[in-house]
Amino acid sequence: MKLVDALRILREAPHNAKPFLTFLACGFTPGHLQTFLAANLQTLLPDRCVEVTTGLYGDIAGNIGQIDTLDGEAAAVIVEWSDIDPRLGIRSLGGWGPKQLEDILRSLLPQLNRIKEHLQNASARHQVVVSLPSLQIPPIAFTPTWQASSFEQELEEEVARLGSWIVRQPNLKLINSAYLTRHSSGFDRFDVQSEVLSGFPYGLSFASRLAQALAQLIINRVPKKGIITDLDDTIWRGILGEVGIEGISWSLERRGHMHGLYQQLLRALSEEGVLIAVASKNNPSIVQQALKSDRMFLSAKDVFPMEAHWGRKSESVSRILKTWNVSAESVVFIDDSPMELAEVKATHPEIECILFPKDDYKAVYLLLTNLRDLFGKTSITKEDSIRMESIRHSAIFKESVDDPFSADDFLRQAEAKLELSLHKIPVDPRALELVNKTNQFNLNGKRLSETEWQAFLGNPESFLLVAEYQDKYGPLGKIAVLAGRNVDNKTCVEVWVMSCRAFSRRVEHCCLAYLFDKFASEEIILDFKVTEKNGPFQYFLSEFSPQPSALGLRIPRGSFIAKCPARFHSIRELNDE
Amino acid sequence: MNDLSVRLMNCFSEVFPGLEKNEIFQASPRSIQKWDSIATINLLTIIEEEFGVSFGPEELERLTSYPSILEYLETKDRTSQFEKE
Repeated sequence: MKLVDALRILREAPHNAKPFLTFLACGFTPGHLQTFLAANLQTLLPDRCVEVTTGLYGDIAGNIGQIDTLDGEAAAVIVEWSDIDPRLGIRSLGGWGPKQLEDILRSLLPQLNRIKEHLQNASARHQVVVSLPSLQIPPIAFTPTWQASSFEQELEEEVARLGSWIVRQPNLKLINSAYLTRHSSGFDRFDVQSEVLSGFPYGLSFASRLAQALAQLIINRVPKKGIITDLDDTIWRGILGEVGIEGISWSLERRGHMHGLYQQLLRALSEEGVLIAVASKNNPSIVQQALKSDRMFLSAKDVFPMEAHWGRKSESVSRILKTWNVSAESVVFIDDSPMELAEVKATHPEIECILFPKDDYKAVYLLLTNLRDLFGKTSITKEDSIRMESIRHSAIFKESVDDPFSADDFLRQAEAKLELSLHKIPVDPRALELVNKTNQFNLNGKRLSETEWQAFLGNPESFLLVAEYQDKYGPLGKIAVLAGRNVDNKTCVEVWVMSCRAFSRRVEHCCLAYLFDKFASEEIILDFKVTEKNGPFQYFLSEFSPQPSALGLRIPRGSFIAKCPARFHSIRELNDE
Repeated sequence: MNDLSVRLMNCFSEVFPGLEKNEIFQASPRSIQKWDSIATINLLTIIEEEFGVSFGPEELERLTSYPSILEYLETKDRTSQFEKE
């Protein structure tokens, strides 16, 4: 991003929109970094009015200390060497001799500990993203610059130790220095003239890149959910129909190693909860045999559904999306044929179509990196590890309950177990993840930042109900979240989402029944809003004919009891354990 | 108006939106209230991006108005054309 673009983005921001306040804590003049950070955040939050404020020059610890007292939603902390000791910068003339080196090392730990302590306090109420020194240490050690000195090694070791601590804290996130290295070389980062004259140390392009990375860390974009991949010259080298099972390869000795790496990444993504499906023009029985090979990294159990036939790939993609019940925009389609990519793109314009660059080792490696960025997430939950299996089971389940006459019979024998928890603390990351990614069974489409979520849970009037489901077909994990407040014998629900994998199991009915019982409420008021995608929620509401009121849609206890269908679940409360 | 002055005017418009043409021609920190130290840095950086030039410390002190910046860019342009020939 150029500075002129950043200024334009900020000028055109919706100035009357809800503000998004971010604090930038650094010890140098924030200069263009402040502008770039605001512009990158504004791009990611087009409906908000982003404002980035800053602290005092030369006081990194004090600036981090301020975060705790601010009302902002997020904070970015940039630590440079000169913040650890001014003699490690070029604006101070405190001496670079051997005695000063010893003194710098002596004061290193106390200053890092101060920063750590302030970061810990700051992260109690705010989400804080951190960048540790990204500039080179100046030529202060007595060794030539190509020789590593014990002085530099010790500095970097202690900073790395701080980094290891940061990544283990729930509300702190650290910029990956390897990402910055990939996009900017060391010397281009440092603008000596700017640092000396104005106290702003970064070159313009590096400031832009760093701000982009910080903004991406602050605003967790929702990762893509699934990959639909081709097989021939993609998962493996060779055309299965021409060379047979023995002819295809993904090994180093048969020049198929990059295909092996692609398989290896798909396998890892599958284990991390990414959905993997195949769309291949092939003979289905030979494909099944090929995927059964124990030499394959990716096996048939990692893939669902498998669309191997001679029909159009766009039709395969349509069926896969329906089975997964996800939108095209959250899926990536990978094929080695530009024609197939174009055919799928024409039918599903929202899908991200990526060419598998066979025979180009570097391009395949970049593809793997790109896939990591598209599917990367902050943590892996239990639900991620069972997602594929539960979708497989849901497909069987759906076929059975679609027949209304057998729905009760089917649900009765399903051995459904529901675990319900009203625990607000410790904060469950899965609950917020569900709130921010569920579209269809969603009360009002409300999305919340981590800070807003924490503030909501911190309110003593608020409640949070998290439901975890399993039946004899397998576990679905935590699949529903309800949150709201209890006021005057009324339960007001402000957030209610349920994963589409739990549809048709009457989990939503159980949740509502539980709230009526647990809170002895005479009525439940839903802060309902129609969204483009919440048709399934509207359908559920229509069962109870709720009445509008000033606070939202009312469902009286009597009306719910009269109209609620049979529930066969065994309920277990986790509240007292 | 030549290409250089049009591009320079665009740079001024990015940093000081809403200025009339005649205001830009006479623009300086005295004539524009919003022209503070941050605006100076933004303006000169945008000009560096637009014209592919790099201002040294002396120029940063000297280039404090539209006419002075235009003159600097025209001199630079003439010098580079002369070097090409």
